[in-house]
Amino acid sequence: MDDSLNRRDWLRTLGASGLAAGLGAWHAGHAAAQESGFQSSVIDQHEVQPNRACPSLTDGKVIQPRRELPVVHQTDVLVVGGGPAGVCAAIAARRAGVDVTLVERYGHFGGLWSGGLVLVILGHIVKGGKQVCQGIGEEMMRRLDKLDGAIIDRRPGANPTVDAEAVKYLMVEMIEEVQAKVFLHCWGVDAIVNGNTVHGAVFESKSGRQAILAKTVVDATGDGDLFAAAGAEYERRSHNIGLVSRIGNLDRVDRARAEGSPKPRNLGGRTPVPGVNWVNMHGPEVDGLDVETLTRLELNHRKFIWKNMQKVRRTPGYEKVYLMETAPQLGVRITRVLNGLQRVTLDDLKAATTFADVIGVGGASNGQHGEWQIPYGALVPEKTDNLLAAGRCISAEIRMADLVRLIPNCFVTGHAAGVAAAVAVADGCRPRDVDVKKVQRVLQEQEAYLG
Amino acid sequence: MAGTPSKRRRLARRLIRVLVFVAAVLVLLPQAESWQLAVVVPAASPLVAVASVLATRTLPWTACLGLAVGAIGLLRRRWFCRWACPVGLLADGATRIGLRLGRRCPHTPPLGQWIALAIIGGACLGYPVLLWLDPLALFSGPFSLLDAAPAKAAWWSAAAIAAVLLLGTLWPGSWCLRVCPLGATQDLLHRFCRWLRRTSARSAARPVSRQVDRGLPRRLVLGTLIGIGWAAAVRAVHARAAPCLRPPGALDETQFVGLCIRCGNCLRACPAEIIEPDRGQQGLAGLLAPVVEFREDYCREDCTRCAEACPSGALTPFGLEDKARVAIGLARVDMDVCLLGEARECSACRNYCPYEAIAYVWDEVQYTLTPRVNAERCPGCGACEVACPTTPTKAIRVHPC
Repeated sequence: MDDSLNRRDWLRTLGASGLAAGLGAWHAGHAAAQESGFQSSVIDQHEVQPNRACPSLTDGKVIQPRRELPVVHQTDVLVVGGGPAGVCAAIAARRAGVDVTLVERYGHFGGLWSGGLVLVILGHIVKGGKQVCQGIGEEMMRRLDKLDGAIIDRRPGANPTVDAEAVKYLMVEMIEEVQAKVFLHCWGVDAIVNGNTVHGAVFESKSGRQAILAKTVVDATGDGDLFAAAGAEYERRSHNIGLVSRIGNLDRVDRARAEGSPKPRNLGGRTPVPGVNWVNMHGPEVDGLDVETLTRLELNHRKFIWKNMQKVRRTPGYEKVYLMETAPQLGVRITRVLNGLQRVTLDDLKAATTFADVIGVGGASNGQHGEWQIPYGALVPEKTDNLLAAGRCISAEIRMADLVRLIPNCFVTGHAAGVAAAVAVADGCRPRDVDVKKVQRVLQEQEAYLG
Repeated sequence: MAGTPSKRRRLARRLIRVLVFVAAVLVLLPQAESWQLAVVVPAASPLVAVASVLATRTLPWTACLGLAVGAIGLLRRRWFCRWACPVGLLADGATRIGLRLGRRCPHTPPLGQWIALAIIGGACLGYPVLLWLDPLALFSGPFSLLDAAPAKAAWWSAAAIAAVLLLGTLWPGSWCLRVCPLGATQDLLHRFCRWLRRTSARSAARPVSRQVDRGLPRRLVLGTLIGIGWAAAVRAVHARAAPCLRPPGALDETQFVGLCIRCGNCLRACPAEIIEPDRGQQGLAGLLAPVVEFREDYCREDCTRCAEACPSGALTPFGLEDKARVAIGLARVDMDVCLLGEARECSACRNYCPYEAIAYVWDEVQYTLTPRVNAERCPGCGACEVACPTTPTKAIRVHPC
């Protein structure tokens, strides 16, 4: 009996919805929803729009028609990319007194530092252990010190390791503190360009394709997506791409049992979470801009990491070690590199060249080099205006790529790009015409180290 | 009145000797640009020249200088000793002190002639034994102490010069007349010349000189044979010695150790200061010969100085265009030490290699990234070894070929 009643109820519901569909009117549907008590779940109902400007298949080719994009926001400085460079740029520009908007493709800040699980801070020191990464980068490390379980090995000459969640939290705190406008889940896909002049960027998100207008844009995408879209010249490079992971229970390894067997290779380095290590990975040297390559690597790396962990767990004494997580972000090391007004070179590093337009000093992974200065010109595209590069994609020769891409050096170039963009906006000039002395002064006020 | 010209001549000779001495010192001082001139001092020795020509079977321009000095010696007996030799000047001073102290030189066999002959004999086998006893080589060696990064082992060369002076003081005149192989070479040359002249005109022979010369052919043969035997023995023994890193252009290990006169020119000429005197790591045979150590710097891709500064041909000079092909050794990676072995971030060796000889190879099965050295391209310049951040052992090191 219950069964038949239920069926009747179900049929009645079906009839009601069939009636609603038959009416076809939005108002009627709305009313039906109201009646059914599900009002809060319906925001909008779309009719078929005859003038929707979606791509069409014309003569076997997919054609994207011309269309107007909604401008969702206007800002002074637009920072695209919320990794170490982008976040530093946004904070620096905001502190320099201009309106800032930060756009990030994922749901959190930190880029490869947090999302890529590259948890060690390599490259903030030079020979002799002196820390050259100051300013906002150092402020972050200092603030991580104050958080519980956020950073370890914070001592002179050492490479600290952070907790990814602490980084994500801290960056939210700092971005909210400076009151920068933020768009998350937004993928910067195009630049708005007239001639050589950039006026903002276009984003793809769940809200569709939208535009943000800006006086100056900082490309902190890492891949140089914005300068490439804006038509700036760049070099496209391959590098090995891996996938970082975290493994747990290393504090529960049975030493006595493990004694006799060879220690599994590459168990990574410790993190602030007890018993948890982060495990770095290399990979084939490939083009990190090719989506098929990225797909293949994701698949292969995941298979390897899982199988390798099974092998570790079969090692006597290591049975309790487990795979905690793989990084949400694939470890792309380098892709596009800007052709800037100046170029960071290994010869300059060796010769310890000083630049009149220095905007930061770089360090080395293990402090094996002296101080190397980064000139402002390395952030400025040769021809494109109103755009600055920050992070791993700044103008640097290939031998310097592995130093430039280090997280602390991204803090440094991000900080400088943010200040320079703010000064350009405040002075109403193009970034290439900016008064570098003024940029240096503001950077020093913000406790950056310039040599 | 007859004494005046000879007195004047003596004065002039003394003046010239002092001038030559000062010039030699100035040239050997390790200044930035004098390395090209420094080669002149040891190269002026006819003994070094003859040994070099015999051992390498080539005729470098440096040898021409020594041969010219030797040619004059054919006509004028020991003219180099009397007019130019800087060690001679020092030894004369020691002799004078010794004489004043009342020391006298006992009768000693002509050791120098035996040494010189052994050198020539050895050179025929490519291993001129005891060539380092050449006074100009001994004189050059201690200047390495004045180098920007003084080579500690250069104290040995300083000790050798001190020994010469001590010898001169204890037995006045013994070094120059009895021990010095360069002086003895000149004696031999002169006597040989006289003997030639006499055999061509047999009539005018004096009994006294015939008596002196009677021992000469025997000494010539025996001395040379001693040298050949010695060289053969060393070659047999040294062949088993572990090879080590020599400056670029070095001859094969045994020949190099023999022909190198330990003058220190190469290590003073090296702008990177990577050449050091061997402190006996390679056994006694290699003592003070230059070895390459990559501590702070590497063998620069734009430099050919050491080979150009070599007076004896132990280092074969080469052009800059051949630099990439003149090997010191070959870089080799120890994956137990390499940061990539632990999947850590590093690309120092690849980035610093001036010859693009290092590639990182990904193994799809093992999932490892390994530096691979291209032996065709790697001349063992050591740039990778210097750049390698691992301590205390470097993961990438240059090994002898």
